Amino acid sequence: MELKKQKSTTRVGDGVVNMRKKSSRNGLTAVVLGFLVFSMIGLAYASEPLYRIFCQVTGYGGTTRIAVFDNKGLVAKNSITVRFDANVNKLLPWRFKPMQNKITLRPGEQAIAFYEATNVSDKPIVGTAVFNVAPFKVGEYFNKIECFCFTEQILLPGQTVQMPVTFFVDSSIAEDRNTKEVSTITLSYTFYASDDQSEVENLSRTSLEIKKSVDNLRRTQIIQPG
Amino acid sequence: MSNITHDHHDHRPSGWKRWAYSTNHKDIGTMYLVLSMFAAIIGGAASMLMRAELHEPGIQFITDPQFYNVLVTAHGFIMVFFVVMPALIGGFGNWFIPLMIGTPDMAFPRMNNVSFWLVAAALILLVIAGFIDGGAGTGWTVYPPLSSADYHPGMAVDFGILALHLAGASSILGAINFITTIINMRAPGMTFHRMPLFIWAMLLTAFLLLLAIPVLAGALTMLLTDRNFGTAFFAPDGGGDPVLWQHLFWFFGHPEVYIMILPAFGIISEIVSTFSKKPIFGYLGMAYAMTSIGVVGFVVWAHHMYTMGFNVETRAYFTLATMVIAVPTGIKIFSWLATMWGGSIKFDTPMLYSMGFIFLFVVGGVTGVTLANAGVDMAFHDTYFVVAHFHYVLSISALFSMYAGFYYWFGKMSGKRYPEWLGRLQFWVTFVGVNLLFFPQHFAGMAGMPRRIIDYPDAYAGWNMISSWGAYISAVGGILFFVVLYKTLTSNVKAEANEWGVGATTLEWTVDSPAPFHTHEVTPNIIPEPAE
Repeated sequence: MELKKQKSTTRVGDGVVNMRKKSSRNGLTAVVLGFLVFSMIGLAYASEPLYRIFCQVTGYGGTTRIAVFDNKGLVAKNSITVRFDANVNKLLPWRFKPMQNKITLRPGEQAIAFYEATNVSDKPIVGTAVFNVAPFKVGEYFNKIECFCFTEQILLPGQTVQMPVTFFVDSSIAEDRNTKEVSTITLSYTFYASDDQSEVENLSRTSLEIKKSVDNLRRTQIIQPG
Repeated sequence: MSNITHDHHDHRPSGWKRWAYSTNHKDIGTMYLVLSMFAAIIGGAASMLMRAELHEPGIQFITDPQFYNVLVTAHGFIMVFFVVMPALIGGFGNWFIPLMIGTPDMAFPRMNNVSFWLVAAALILLVIAGFIDGGAGTGWTVYPPLSSADYHPGMAVDFGILALHLAGASSILGAINFITTIINMRAPGMTFHRMPLFIWAMLLTAFLLLLAIPVLAGALTMLLTDRNFGTAFFAPDGGGDPVLWQHLFWFFGHPEVYIMILPAFGIISEIVSTFSKKPIFGYLGMAYAMTSIGVVGFVVWAHHMYTMGFNVETRAYFTLATMVIAVPTGIKIFSWLATMWGGSIKFDTPMLYSMGFIFLFVVGGVTGVTLANAGVDMAFHDTYFVVAHFHYVLSISALFSMYAGFYYWFGKMSGKRYPEWLGRLQFWVTFVGVNLLFFPQHFAGMAGMPRRIIDYPDAYAGWNMISSWGAYISAVGGILFFVVLYKTLTSNVKAEANEWGVGATTLEWTVDSPAPFHTHEVTPNIIPEPAE
C-alpha cells in the first residue's frame, strides 16, 4: 500500500509515459549487463581448458611436447642431465618410483628411461599420470616420443610393471638465450586414481567396490587429514 | 492516485518496515554506511589485536597461531568487502548518484534492497567463518593448497566462500543498478562529458565489478567443488594446478583494488574542486585517466605472482604494463594539484582529508612503482614492504576518502553541521597515527620481515613497536570519529542547503539539508550551464 503511493508520487513529476519508456530501456540495459556477467562466469570456467591448451601449445609451466624423433642430424655440444622424480596421490594405493636417478645425454640424442609401479592394494585400479619438467622454461624443448603417461594404466592387485618413456631434448635449447645455461632438467610424474574406472569392469565385476573403496578413502581423507 | 500532490511527497513507511523493506536510495545508502561502520569496528578490532600481538617479539597473548591467521584473514575480508566497498559504493554511491544526476531514485529500487540485505547476510557468514572449526586462516587470497580440504578440513573456509558468493552477488546486482541508472536516467543536458567526476568514478567502478566479480565467483565455486565434491581444478595430484587459482584470483583481485580506489578518486575530485572554489583542472583528462586505469587494470594481474616461475618475457611484460598505470595516475595527482593551484582554498576537514589522501596515495604509488619491477619484487614479495605499500595506496587512502566524503556530505545527509574543530582534531590524530603505523613497515619489510606470521626475530622489534603505537593512535582517531558522529547527530547547528558556498556546484547542493525523502521529483534541467 505504502509502496504503491511512493511509486505514484514519482510519476507525478516525471510523467507516466516518460517513466514507462525509461523503465523498458532500463530493463534492456539490465539484460545486456546480466549477459556480460554470465559470459564472465563462463570465461572463468573456460579458463581451465584454455589454460591447459595454452600450456600445451607454448610449453608454459613446464608442459612437455609430444614429438616424433627427428634431430635433423643436429646434436648440441654440451650434455644435459635429466633427473627423474615420481609422486603418488595419497588416495591411490600404488608404489611408484624411477628405476634410474638420472641420465646424462646431449640435446638431440634420444634416450629411454624406466619407471616402476606396483599396486599394493587388493583391487585392480586404473591410474593416470600428470607430468611436467623443471625449470618450467625448458618445457617447449623437452619432447616425448613414447610415454606411459599418454594412456591410462591398469594394475591388478599386487602387480608390478615397468614403464618406459622415450624422449629427447631439442638441440635448439642450446641456442635460446633464456635456456642455454640449463644443465639439469627434472622430469616429474604424479600418479592419481583415474576418475574413469570402467576398464576395471572389463576385467572383473568388482568395479563398484573399487569406486566405493576410492570414495571411502576420499571420505576418510577429508575427515582425518594428514 | 493523481490527487497525491507535493504536500504528501515526504510520506515514508515508518518503523522497522521503513528499513527492512526500503526501496529508497537514501535509506539504503544510510544502511550501507551503518553496516560499514559496524564492520569497521570488527575489522579494526582484529587489526588492533594483531598489532598488540606484534608489539614485541615472541608470542604475547594469542596462544594459537591459527587464531592469528584467522585474524589476518578476517581483517582483510572485512575491510575490503564489508567496510570499504559498502561505504564508498553502497553508501555514498546510493546516496549521491541519484542526487547528482538529477533523478528521483535508482533504476531498480527493489533490487537495491536485495543488494543491501545480501551483503548483511554475507557479513554474518564471514564472522561465522572466523569461529567454527578453527576458523579460516587462509589470508584474503585463499590460495590452495592452504585453502584445500587437506589443510583446512573444517567448514570455516566453506562459510567464507559462501560469504564471498553472497557479497559478490550483492555487488553484481548493485553494479547493474548503478550502470543502468547512470546511463539512462541522467537529467536532460547532463551529457557524459558533463557528469560530475564522482559519477564517472561510480560508473567505471560498476563496470569493473561487473567484469571482475564473476571471475571470483567462478574461481570460488571451483574451490568449493574441489573441497567438497572431489573435483581437482587446483589439486596437482588430480591433474589440476594451484597456479590457475592465482591467475583467476588476481584477474579479479587487481581490478578489485581499483574498485576500492576509483570511488575515492571521485570523492576527492569533488572536494578538491569545491574547497578550491574552482572547476576541476582537466576534467576530460581526469575522466579518461580513470577509464584507462580501469582498462589497464585488467591486464596487469600477474604482478602479484612474480615469484611463481614466469619466464623473463612474461615478467618484462607485466612490469611494463604495471608501470604504464603510473601515467594516468600521475595525470590525476597533477590535476588535483593544478586545481588547488591559485584557488581560494578553505582548509575545512573534508579538504584536509583530501589533501591527506593525495599525500598517502603518492607515497603508496611510489612504492607501487618499486614493487612493479619483477626483479625487485623477488626480494620484497611477502614482506612488510608490500604490507606498507598496499595499506598506503588503498587501505588508508580509501579510509581517508571515506572520512572526507563523510565530512563533506554528512550535512546533506543529516541536516546537521559537524563541529569543525573536532573534525580537524580527528584528522590530525588519524593522519599522525596511520603514518606512524605504516611508514616503519617499509623499513621492517626492506630488512626482510615476512608478513602473515605471528612472531618475528628480535632484529625487527624497534620498527614493530613504533608501528604498534601508531596503530593505537589511529584507534583513538577511530573513536574520535564516533564522537564526531554522536556530537553531530545531537547538535542543534543546522546545515544549510549549500553549506560549502560557491565552490559546490553539483546538483546535490540544490536540494534541502537534510535531503528530503523524495528529491528531484521535478527533473532538474541543466542544459543552460554545465554541471562542472
